[in-house]
Amino acid sequence: MLADHRAAGYNSSVSSITPSIQVKVLFFGRLKEVVGGAEELVDITPGSSIEDLFATFVARQPELARYRRSLVASRNQEFAAWSTPLQPGDEIAFLPPVSGG
Amino acid sequence: MSTPPSSDLILLVRNVIDADALINHVRTAGDGAIVTFDGCVRNQSHGRRTLYLDYEAYESMALAKMREIAAEVHAKFPIDRVAVAHRLGRLEIGETSVFIAVSAPHRAAAFDACRFAIDTLKRSVPIWKKEYFEDGAVWADGELPPVPQDTQSRKRAS
Repeated sequence: MLADHRAAGYNSSVSSITPSIQVKVLFFGRLKEVVGGAEELVDITPGSSIEDLFATFVARQPELARYRRSLVASRNQEFAAWSTPLQPGDEIAFLPPVSGG
Repeated sequence: MSTPPSSDLILLVRNVIDADALINHVRTAGDGAIVTFDGCVRNQSHGRRTLYLDYEAYESMALAKMREIAAEVHAKFPIDRVAVAHRLGRLEIGETSVFIAVSAPHRAAAFDACRFAIDTLKRSVPIWKKEYFEDGAVWADGELPPVPQDTQSRKRAS
């Protein structure tokens, strides 16, 4: 599905393919270990929120659901509400409780 | 009057933090006080003997948040300069994971600003530590940073 983003980006005009936008998703800490990767490009329906994006990962890996309440999200390096709508090219990260210092 | 944050020094490093360099960075002729915080790796956690720690960060965001903290420190306290360095990767017992230096004309502001800086860093900078014990490893319990509230009004029609 990732190979097809040429046809789906914000430059495309009317397309017969279901439109989608692409965002970059980052995982950190224990979440990175559960997902099994630090970074992924995802095509998702325009108008989707950060919450919708997380739901696509839960659909693929149901055990992620139990982490949802102990995560915060960021959009383009700023903490963001889960209802925030995604824009093409966004960098979204799912962040476990921070423990620096 | 506050020095603009451009004179601050904000770093993520992968080797030993040079505390003297940070202290010298904030030292100016107009300052009567420099307060430092040295956060170091403890040998135990909840009674279990710690072998070492491994820190990771969302680096671009962590640097941005550390710069925001420095700017907030300038806005809140009559201080001169701020230097903050956080180390990433594997750290042994006793090594410094985070070092903060704040200079000010008078000591009270420097103490208050340094305390505010470390407390805010621990709560809002995306850095994580994994604790390694003799019988396994765990991600340290952390704090959930404050996040803008979810509101339906922010949802756009698609």
